[in-house]
Amino acid sequence: MAFVPDPTTLLYLLIAVSILLIVFLISRPSLTASSVGKQMAFVVLFVLPVVVASMGAAEHMRRSEQTEFCLSCHIMAPYGQSLYIDDPAHIPAAHFQNARIPRDEACYTCHTDYVMYGTILTKIGGLRHVYVQYLGKPENPIHLYTPYNNRECLHCHDGARSFVEGATHMAIMPDILSNQISCVSSGCHDNVHDVAHLSGLKFWQEPK
Amino acid sequence: MSAPEQRMTRYLRISGVLIILGLLVEALSLIRIHPLSFLAFMFIGGGLLAAGVVTFLYSLVAIADHPSPEEHT
Repeated sequence: MAFVPDPTTLLYLLIAVSILLIVFLISRPSLTASSVGKQMAFVVLFVLPVVVASMGAAEHMRRSEQTEFCLSCHIMAPYGQSLYIDDPAHIPAAHFQNARIPRDEACYTCHTDYVMYGTILTKIGGLRHVYVQYLGKPENPIHLYTPYNNRECLHCHDGARSFVEGATHMAIMPDILSNQISCVSSGCHDNVHDVAHLSGLKFWQEPK
Repeated sequence: MSAPEQRMTRYLRISGVLIILGLLVEALSLIRIHPLSFLAFMFIGGGLLAAGVVTFLYSLVAIADHPSPEEHT
Protein backbone atom coordinates (compact mmCIF):
# COMPACT_ATOMS: atom_id res chain seq x y z
CA MET A 1 0.00 0.00 0.00
CA ALA A 2 1.29 3.47 -0.87
CA PHE A 3 2.46 5.69 2.00
CA VAL A 4 0.04 8.55 2.50
CA PRO A 5 1.31 11.09 5.07
CA ASP A 6 -1.20 12.62 7.49
CA PRO A 7 -2.02 16.31 6.94
CA THR A 8 0.25 17.48 9.77
CA THR A 9 3.29 15.59 8.40
CA LEU A 10 2.56 16.92 4.93
CA LEU A 11 2.34 20.43 6.32
CA TYR A 12 5.67 20.07 8.16
CA LEU A 13 7.28 18.81 4.94
CA LEU A 14 5.88 21.71 2.96
CA ILE A 15 7.05 24.22 5.59
CA ALA A 16 10.56 22.70 5.56
CA VAL A 17 10.74 22.77 1.74
CA SER A 18 9.46 26.36 1.68
CA ILE A 19 12.06 27.51 4.22
CA LEU A 20 14.89 25.82 2.31
CA LEU A 21 13.80 27.41 -0.97
CA ILE A 22 13.46 30.85 0.62
CA VAL A 23 16.93 30.59 2.19
CA PHE A 24 18.32 29.51 -1.20
CA LEU A 25 16.61 32.42 -2.94
CA ILE A 26 17.62 35.15 -0.51
CA SER A 27 21.19 33.89 -0.41
CA ARG A 28 21.39 34.17 -4.22
CA PRO A 29 19.26 37.23 -5.08
CA SER A 30 20.99 37.51 -8.47
CA LEU A 31 18.84 34.53 -9.55
CA THR A 32 15.85 36.86 -9.79
CA ALA A 33 17.52 38.80 -12.61
CA SER A 34 16.43 36.12 -15.07
CA SER A 35 12.85 35.39 -16.08
CA VAL A 36 12.98 31.87 -14.58
CA GLY A 37 14.38 33.33 -11.35
CA LYS A 38 11.50 35.81 -11.15
CA GLN A 39 9.00 32.99 -11.62
CA MET A 40 10.78 30.99 -8.94
CA ALA A 41 10.65 33.96 -6.56
CA PHE A 42 6.91 34.28 -7.22
CA VAL A 43 6.33 30.61 -6.40
CA VAL A 44 8.56 30.63 -3.31
CA LEU A 45 7.50 33.99 -1.84
CA PHE A 46 3.85 34.00 -2.83
CA VAL A 47 2.37 30.66 -3.94
CA LEU A 48 4.00 28.41 -1.31
CA PRO A 49 3.20 30.66 1.71
CA VAL A 50 -0.42 30.97 0.55
CA VAL A 51 -0.68 27.17 0.13
CA VAL A 52 0.92 26.55 3.55
CA ALA A 53 -1.35 29.11 5.23
CA SER A 54 -4.46 27.59 3.62
CA MET A 55 -3.50 24.03 4.56
CA GLY A 56 -2.58 25.17 8.09
CA ALA A 57 -5.90 26.96 8.49
CA ALA A 58 -7.79 23.84 7.37
CA GLU A 59 -5.80 21.69 9.80
CA HIS A 60 -6.37 24.10 12.70
CA MET A 61 -10.09 24.27 11.90
CA ARG A 62 -10.23 20.45 11.97
CA ARG A 63 -8.34 20.36 15.27
CA SER A 64 -10.60 22.98 16.83
CA GLU A 65 -13.53 20.59 16.40
CA GLN A 66 -11.88 17.95 18.56
CA THR A 67 -12.96 17.16 22.11
CA GLU A 68 -9.31 17.40 23.18
CA PHE A 69 -9.20 21.02 21.94
CA CYS A 70 -12.24 22.10 23.99
CA LEU A 71 -11.05 20.28 27.11
CA SER A 72 -7.53 21.74 26.90
CA CYS A 73 -8.74 24.70 29.01
CA HIS A 74 -8.89 23.78 32.73
CA ILE A 75 -12.28 25.38 33.15
CA MET A 76 -13.75 22.77 30.79
CA ALA A 77 -12.36 19.74 32.67
CA PRO A 78 -15.53 19.06 34.73
CA TYR A 79 -17.60 19.18 31.52
CA GLY A 80 -15.31 16.56 30.02
CA GLN A 81 -15.70 14.46 33.17
CA SER A 82 -19.50 14.77 32.95
CA LEU A 83 -19.38 12.82 29.68
CA TYR A 84 -18.41 9.75 31.74
CA ILE A 85 -21.24 9.92 34.31
CA ASP A 86 -22.68 6.42 34.60
CA ASP A 87 -26.33 7.44 34.26
CA PRO A 88 -28.40 7.05 31.05
CA ALA A 89 -30.62 9.95 32.14
CA HIS A 90 -27.64 12.28 31.83
CA ILE A 91 -28.03 13.47 28.24
CA PRO A 92 -24.43 14.36 27.24
CA ALA A 93 -23.06 11.22 28.93
CA ALA A 94 -25.64 8.96 27.23
CA HIS A 95 -24.84 10.48 23.83
CA PHE A 96 -21.07 10.22 24.37
CA GLN A 97 -20.96 6.72 25.86
CA ASN A 98 -23.38 5.19 23.33
CA ALA A 99 -21.48 6.78 20.41
CA ARG A 100 -24.56 8.69 19.24
CA ILE A 101 -22.06 11.45 18.53
CA PRO A 102 -18.41 11.03 17.44
CA ARG A 103 -16.45 10.86 20.72
CA ASP A 104 -13.48 12.78 19.33
CA GLU A 105 -15.79 15.65 18.29
CA ALA A 106 -18.29 15.42 21.14
CA CYS A 107 -18.39 19.10 22.18
CA TYR A 108 -18.49 20.44 18.64
CA THR A 109 -21.22 18.03 17.46
CA CYS A 110 -23.74 19.28 20.03
CA HIS A 111 -22.55 22.89 20.39
CA THR A 112 -22.07 23.99 16.80
CA ASP A 113 -24.78 25.98 15.01
CA TYR A 114 -26.43 23.89 12.31
CA VAL A 115 -27.08 26.86 10.04
CA MET A 116 -25.38 28.31 7.00
CA TYR A 117 -21.86 29.41 8.02
CA GLY A 118 -22.53 27.78 11.41
CA THR A 119 -18.96 26.54 11.66
CA ILE A 120 -17.61 30.08 11.16
CA LEU A 121 -20.08 31.48 13.70
CA THR A 122 -19.02 28.81 16.18
CA LYS A 123 -15.35 29.69 15.67
CA ILE A 124 -16.12 33.37 16.30
CA GLY A 125 -17.93 32.29 19.47
CA GLY A 126 -14.81 30.29 20.33
CA LEU A 127 -12.67 33.44 20.05
CA ARG A 128 -15.01 35.01 22.60
CA HIS A 129 -14.43 32.02 24.92
CA VAL A 130 -10.67 32.59 24.63
CA TYR A 131 -11.08 36.32 25.29
CA VAL A 132 -13.16 35.67 28.41
CA GLN A 133 -10.76 32.95 29.61
CA TYR A 134 -7.54 34.98 29.27
CA LEU A 135 -8.55 38.64 29.34
CA GLY A 136 -11.97 38.63 31.02
CA LYS A 137 -13.49 36.90 34.01
CA PRO A 138 -15.17 33.56 33.29
CA GLU A 139 -18.40 33.09 35.21
CA ASN A 140 -18.61 30.28 37.71
CA PRO A 141 -20.32 28.08 36.67
CA ILE A 142 -19.84 28.91 33.00
CA HIS A 143 -22.97 29.15 30.88
CA LEU A 144 -23.97 29.47 27.24
CA TYR A 145 -24.17 33.01 25.81
CA THR A 146 -27.58 32.21 24.34
CA PRO A 147 -30.14 29.54 25.33
CA TYR A 148 -29.48 26.13 23.76
CA ASN A 149 -31.36 25.93 20.47
CA ASN A 150 -33.55 22.85 19.73
CA ARG A 151 -32.24 23.04 16.17
CA GLU A 152 -29.00 21.40 17.33
CA CYS A 153 -30.90 18.39 18.76
CA LEU A 154 -33.26 18.20 15.77
CA HIS A 155 -30.32 18.12 13.37
CA CYS A 156 -30.04 14.41 14.25
CA HIS A 157 -33.33 13.56 16.02
CA ASP A 158 -35.84 15.13 13.65
CA GLY A 159 -37.26 12.34 11.53
CA ALA A 160 -35.96 9.60 13.83
CA ARG A 161 -38.73 7.12 14.64
CA SER A 162 -38.02 7.14 18.38
CA PHE A 163 -38.43 10.92 18.36
CA VAL A 164 -41.41 11.50 16.05
CA GLU A 165 -43.47 8.58 17.43
CA GLY A 166 -42.90 9.50 21.08
CA ALA A 167 -46.29 10.43 22.62
CA THR A 168 -44.91 13.47 24.46
CA HIS A 169 -43.02 14.72 21.43
CA MET A 170 -46.12 14.31 19.19
CA ALA A 171 -48.25 16.35 21.60
CA ILE A 172 -45.91 19.35 21.59
CA MET A 173 -44.16 18.92 18.23
CA PRO A 174 -44.97 22.42 16.85
CA ASP A 175 -43.55 24.01 20.00
CA ILE A 176 -40.41 21.87 19.80
CA LEU A 177 -39.88 22.70 16.13
CA SER A 178 -40.42 26.41 16.69
CA ASN A 179 -38.11 26.41 19.73
CA GLN A 180 -40.95 27.55 22.01
CA ILE A 181 -40.32 24.61 24.33
CA SER A 182 -36.66 23.83 24.92
CA CYS A 183 -35.50 20.22 24.79
CA VAL A 184 -33.01 20.77 27.61
CA SER A 185 -34.57 23.33 29.94
CA SER A 186 -38.24 22.41 29.95
CA GLY A 187 -38.00 19.65 32.54
CA CYS A 188 -37.89 16.96 29.82
CA HIS A 189 -34.16 16.40 29.18
CA ASP A 190 -32.67 18.86 31.65
CA ASN A 191 -30.06 16.56 33.13
CA VAL A 192 -27.22 18.19 31.24
CA HIS A 193 -23.56 18.56 32.37
CA ASP A 194 -24.35 18.31 36.08
CA VAL A 195 -20.90 19.53 37.07
CA ALA A 196 -21.97 20.75 40.51
CA HIS A 197 -22.59 17.20 41.74
CA LEU A 198 -19.76 15.30 40.06
CA SER A 199 -18.15 14.23 43.32
CA GLY A 200 -21.13 12.11 44.33
CA LEU A 201 -21.58 10.34 40.99
CA LYS A 202 -20.39 7.05 39.53
CA PHE A 203 -18.33 7.15 36.32
CA TRP A 204 -18.13 4.87 33.32
CA GLN A 205 -14.71 3.41 32.50
CA GLU A 206 -14.12 3.42 28.77
CA PRO A 207 -12.78 -0.01 27.73
CA LYS A 208 -9.22 0.10 26.39
CA MET B 1 24.67 45.88 -8.97
CA SER B 2 22.31 48.70 -10.05
CA ALA B 3 20.20 50.66 -7.56
CA PRO B 4 16.88 48.94 -8.51
CA GLU B 5 18.55 45.55 -8.19
CA GLN B 6 19.84 46.48 -4.75
CA ARG B 7 16.36 47.63 -3.77
CA MET B 8 14.87 44.39 -5.09
CA THR B 9 17.44 42.36 -3.15
CA ARG B 10 16.61 44.24 0.04
CA TYR B 11 12.87 43.69 -0.43
CA LEU B 12 13.46 40.00 -1.19
CA ARG B 13 15.48 39.58 2.01
CA ILE B 14 12.90 41.36 4.17
CA SER B 15 10.08 39.37 2.57
CA GLY B 16 11.99 36.08 2.91
CA VAL B 17 12.81 36.64 6.57
CA LEU B 18 9.19 37.59 7.40
CA ILE B 19 7.87 34.50 5.58
CA ILE B 20 10.40 32.20 7.28
CA LEU B 21 9.39 33.59 10.71
CA GLY B 22 5.71 33.11 9.80
CA LEU B 23 6.35 29.53 8.67
CA LEU B 24 8.26 28.76 11.89
CA VAL B 25 5.38 30.12 14.00
CA GLU B 26 2.92 28.03 11.95
CA ALA B 27 5.08 24.91 12.46
CA LEU B 28 5.29 25.54 16.22
CA SER B 29 1.54 26.12 16.45
CA LEU B 30 0.94 22.60 15.14
CA ILE B 31 2.74 20.98 18.08
CA ARG B 32 -0.13 21.34 20.58
CA ILE B 33 -3.91 21.14 20.21
CA HIS B 34 -4.88 24.25 22.19
CA PRO B 35 -6.85 27.47 21.54
CA LEU B 36 -3.68 29.54 22.03
CA SER B 37 -1.97 27.52 19.26
CA PHE B 38 -4.90 28.40 17.02
CA LEU B 39 -4.54 32.09 17.87
CA ALA B 40 -0.76 32.02 17.37
CA PHE B 41 -1.30 30.43 13.97
CA MET B 42 -4.01 32.90 12.94
CA PHE B 43 -2.62 36.16 14.18
CA ILE B 44 1.17 35.84 14.64
CA GLY B 45 1.97 33.28 11.91
CA GLY B 46 -0.69 34.59 9.53
CA GLY B 47 0.36 38.20 10.19
CA LEU B 48 4.05 37.50 9.48
CA LEU B 49 3.21 35.52 6.33
CA ALA B 50 0.87 38.24 5.09
CA ALA B 51 3.50 40.92 5.78
CA GLY B 52 6.13 38.90 3.89
CA VAL B 53 3.90 38.25 0.90
CA VAL B 54 2.78 41.90 0.76
CA THR B 55 6.42 43.06 0.95
CA PHE B 56 7.28 40.79 -1.99
CA LEU B 57 4.30 41.97 -4.05
CA TYR B 58 5.12 45.59 -3.19
CA SER B 59 8.71 45.04 -4.38
CA LEU B 60 7.40 44.00 -7.82
CA VAL B 61 5.30 47.15 -8.09
CA ALA B 62 7.99 49.44 -6.66
CA ILE B 63 10.68 48.18 -9.03
CA ALA B 64 8.34 48.42 -12.02
CA ASP B 65 7.52 52.02 -11.04
CA HIS B 66 11.20 52.97 -10.86
CA PRO B 67 12.96 51.30 -13.79
CA SER B 68 16.75 51.55 -14.02
CA PRO B 69 18.26 54.48 -16.06
CA GLU B 70 19.25 52.01 -18.84
CA GLU B 71 15.58 51.05 -19.29
CA HIS B 72 14.67 54.75 -19.73
CA THR B 73 17.00 55.18 -22.67
